[in-house]
Amino acid sequence: MFGVSRRRLNVWLVNLALVVICIFALIPVVTTVVISFKGERDIIRKPPNFLPCDTPTSAFDPTACRWSVEGYQRVLSPKPSEGGLLPFALTGNIVRVYIPNSFLYATSTALIVVFLAGMSGYAFSRYRFRGRSLLLFAILAITGVPLLTNLLALYQMGVVIRKAQVPFYDDRLFLVAVYTGFFLPLSVWIAKGFFDAIPRELEEAAVIDGCSPFSALLRISMPLALPGLMAVFLLTFVNVWNEFIAGYLLIAKNEFKPAMFGLYEFLGQNIINLQVVAAACILIALPIVVLFIFARRSFFAAMVEGAIKG
Amino acid sequence: MQQTQTRKKRRGPFHTMLPFWLILPTVLVLLAIQVYPAFYTIWLSFHERQPQGWEYVGLNNFVRLLGMGVFSESVGHTIVFLVGYTSLTLVLGFIIALLLNRKLKLSGLYVTLLFIPWIIADIIVGIVFRLLVVPDYGLLSGILQNPAIFPPNGISVLTATRPPSWFGGFPFPPALAMIYLIMASAWRALPFITLLLLAAMQTVSTEVIESSRIDGANGWQVVRRIMIPLMLPTLVVALFSLTLGGMNGVGMVFSLTGGGPGSATEVLSYLLYVLGWSQLNFGRAAALAMLIAVVNWILILSTLRVTRVEERTH
Repeated sequence: MFGVSRRRLNVWLVNLALVVICIFALIPVVTTVVISFKGERDIIRKPPNFLPCDTPTSAFDPTACRWSVEGYQRVLSPKPSEGGLLPFALTGNIVRVYIPNSFLYATSTALIVVFLAGMSGYAFSRYRFRGRSLLLFAILAITGVPLLTNLLALYQMGVVIRKAQVPFYDDRLFLVAVYTGFFLPLSVWIAKGFFDAIPRELEEAAVIDGCSPFSALLRISMPLALPGLMAVFLLTFVNVWNEFIAGYLLIAKNEFKPAMFGLYEFLGQNIINLQVVAAACILIALPIVVLFIFARRSFFAAMVEGAIKG
Repeated sequence: MQQTQTRKKRRGPFHTMLPFWLILPTVLVLLAIQVYPAFYTIWLSFHERQPQGWEYVGLNNFVRLLGMGVFSESVGHTIVFLVGYTSLTLVLGFIIALLLNRKLKLSGLYVTLLFIPWIIADIIVGIVFRLLVVPDYGLLSGILQNPAIFPPNGISVLTATRPPSWFGGFPFPPALAMIYLIMASAWRALPFITLLLLAAMQTVSTEVIESSRIDGANGWQVVRRIMIPLMLPTLVVALFSLTLGGMNGVGMVFSLTGGGPGSATEVLSYLLYVLGWSQLNFGRAAALAMLIAVVNWILILSTLRVTRVEERTH
C-alpha cells in the first residue's frame, strides 16, 4: 500500500521535473515570440518588461496589452500593388529575396540527396561486392567531417571556377553541390538502414514471379522505402535551411544569399529594434518548427538510423 | 552469399554492374566536394597568396600562426568552451534521459517539446539568446544590470570583460559572454544528446537494475555502478560528437557575441573565419584549418573505434 502511493508520488515528481525542464527549454522561444509582438515604445523601456501589459495603475492588466505587429510589418514591408494575385506585395528583402533563395537551395539539395542516397543506399544494402566494407567505412568517416575545415578550399575552388567563366555556371549551382556533398554521407547511411529493414524476400518473390530485378527495385522496394526517403528529404531540407557559414561565404552576390545570411545582415541593421529582429527570426524558423512538429516521426526515424553512427 | 553469386550470373552485364552504377554518382560527388578540398587545404597551407600567384612557403604559415598571440588565446578560449559545453550538456542530458526513461504517459509530448531547440538554426539560437541580454533592453539585462541585485553597477553579459586570469595567460575564469555562449550552445545540443543517452539507457536491462535494487543498492549507486559503466561507449560517443560539433560550430559565435567583448569568445573556428575572410590571410587560415582537421580526424576515428563500426559495415 505504502509502496504504491510512494510510486505514484515518484511519478508525480518526475512529471513535475519534466514540465519544469520543458518550460526552461522553451523560455527563449516564448520570449522571442513575445518580443516580436511588442511595439517600439515597449522595446526601449528601462527596465524591460516581459509582457507589454502594465498600466500606470496596475502591474498586469490583460485588457491593456499593447500588442503590435510593427516588427512583422517592417520585415515584410507590404506595399500596395496592382495586378498581382494579392492587393499588396511583400517588399522586404528577407521575404522577397532571402527566403525564396533558401527554399530553392534546400529543395534542390534535398531532391538530389534523396536520389543519390536512395540509389547508393539500395546498392549497399542489397549487393555484396569487392570494396563494399571499405567504401561504407569511408562514407561513415566522411559523415563526421565538418564543413568548416574544407571551407577555405571550397571558397578557392569557387573563385577559380568563376574566373574560368564556365558557361551557365552560377554560384548557386556550386552551393547546391557543396551542400549535396556535405549532407550526402549521412543520408546514404540512413537510406541503407531503411533498405536493410525491408525484407529481401519480397523482391526475390517478385523476381521469381517474372519481374526483372530493376523493376522489382522500382515497384517493390521503392514504395516500401518511401517513408525512409521522405525522412532523408526532410532532414536534408532542414539542414540546408539552417546552414549559415557556407551560404554566407561561398556566394558572392547578396541577391543569391540564403535566409540565414539575411538574418545576420538584419541583426547588424537593427541594433535597437529588437522586435524587428525577433519577427524575422520567427518568420524564418516557423516553417521548420511546424514541419518538425507534423513530421516528427520521420525526423526521429532518420535520427535513429543516423544517430547510431555517433 | 552463394545464392547472390548464382543470381548475379543469370543477369545480364548491366545487372552485374548495377551496384557500381548506383554508387558511382555518390562517390564522384564525395570525391569532388569532400576529398579534393581536403587535399587542396593541405596544399593551401604550404602556400601564400601573392599578387602574381601562389608561392610555396614551406612550413612558414604554421610557424607564423603558432607565433600569433591570438592563436594561443583562441586555443585557451576553445578549451574553456569545450570543457564547459561538453560537461554541461552531458550532465543535463543524462539527468533528463533518466527522467524520460520512466516511460510516462506524456513522454512523447515531452520529447517533442524538448526537441524544438534542436530544429532551430544555430544562428537563430544565437540571436534569440542575444535578445535576452542586449544591454539595457534585454529581459535578463533588466535583472543583471540592476544595481540593487548586482552592485555596484550591475553586470552586462555582452560587454563585461574577462576577469583577471588565475593561471597566467589561460583565459580562466572566463568572461560572462563565454559562460552565456556555453549555455546557449548546450541548450541547442541537449535534445540530441538526451535522445542518444536515452536510447542507450533503454538497452540497460531492467532485470540487472531490479536485482541490484533487491540487493539494497540505492538510486545513485545504480546510476554510478551499473548504468554509467554499461553506457560508457555511448557516453564516449556523445562526448566526441559534442567536441567535434563544438569545435567546428561557428554560427552561434557569429550571431551571439561576434567574438567579443574584445576577443573573449573568439574560439578557433571563429578565428579561422577572421584570418581567412576578414584579414584575407589565406595561408595562415589554411594552416589553422589543417590543425583543426587533424583534431577532427582523431575524434572521428576514435568514435568509429568505440562504436566498433566494422561489425555494421558487413
